[in-house]
Amino acid sequence: MSEPPTPSGSTAEGAPGVVAQPRPGRARALRETLAGLSRLDGVTGGLLVTPDGLVIASELPSRYPAEALAALGATLGRELEVADERLGRGPFTAACFAAEDGTMFVSGSRVGFVMLLGASTVDAPAVLRALGDALARLD
Amino acid sequence: MAQGLEQSPDSAIGHLLSAYLHLARRETGPATLAFERVLRIDRYHPRALLGLARIALEEGDLERSKDLLDRALQFYADFPEARALRDLVESWSASTPAATAPLTAPDLEGASPWRDLVAVRLDGTLISARAAGERADRLATHTTRICQVASATLGRAGLGPLRRGLIETGAERTLLWSDGGVILSATVDAGVDSDDALADLGRLRNRLGLDG
Repeated sequence: MSEPPTPSGSTAEGAPGVVAQPRPGRARALRETLAGLSRLDGVTGGLLVTPDGLVIASELPSRYPAEALAALGATLGRELEVADERLGRGPFTAACFAAEDGTMFVSGSRVGFVMLLGASTVDAPAVLRALGDALARLD
Repeated sequence: MAQGLEQSPDSAIGHLLSAYLHLARRETGPATLAFERVLRIDRYHPRALLGLARIALEEGDLERSKDLLDRALQFYADFPEARALRDLVESWSASTPAATAPLTAPDLEGASPWRDLVAVRLDGTLISARAAGERADRLATHTTRICQVASATLGRAGLGPLRRGLIETGAERTLLWSDGGVILSATVDAGVDSDDALADLGRLRNRLGLDG
């Protein structure tokens, strides 16, 4: 009894349709968008997660703990979103966080949050622009 | 979904799907009710416990979040999402500042052209803010939470501690600067060059003599 059940009865990654219930074409578009963003220069991979932290699609190398990152990324995404109501800022669109050994990007969309991980030398403005463009096409 | 639940009101999966649909629309109130209905059917349903724990965390109710995550982990010890959030809550709880924590008060008044300028310790202690009363407290809480969750996420990814942040909201950008002990945050118009703004923020930090 160590494997938590998911709504679909399989793995968390098997539950994407639970929230977005995307049509096959839309699901493919989401995955292709994430795959395209994950191929940007300096980006090592990414995740598309629901607001509750379920993994919809993953392009992360296996060395990363996708489920844990999804849970934390969704929590971070929600904190960024609620700043609009708590502080009267405009709607959250995207954020980037630079650490000593890499960079993380988070962007909001109707489906959930896109997270990208990259090198510390990644061109952050270029990635933010690409994220904005990609999500605008999807939304 | 509502029709389906009318026909099968005892369907845990149905209520869980309903909760997720509400969350997708960012409707936390109805999502909470739906998760609670799942728990009335299966009191240890891990996904419902996780969902409620995330909402409690979002609302700043750390004790409730911790209790819910502990219940999930009691039966599903290898639940990675719950474990990650439990660790986050633990670090968050441990760093809750004492009400009597001593403050230093660097003068941020002369530091223009920033808006919502705030200096805060990573434990949430407000050092100084160019904002009054409740807004200063809300800024401090928000800034601290963002940095704590971002640091935890970066840490899980093996990328090291948070150093800089950039948050885009509408026509504004909020910049974060952290040395691991003190966070400086300020908001500027979106048209301001981010690199220049971050450099300015670093200089301000030096001028104020802030350190961890």
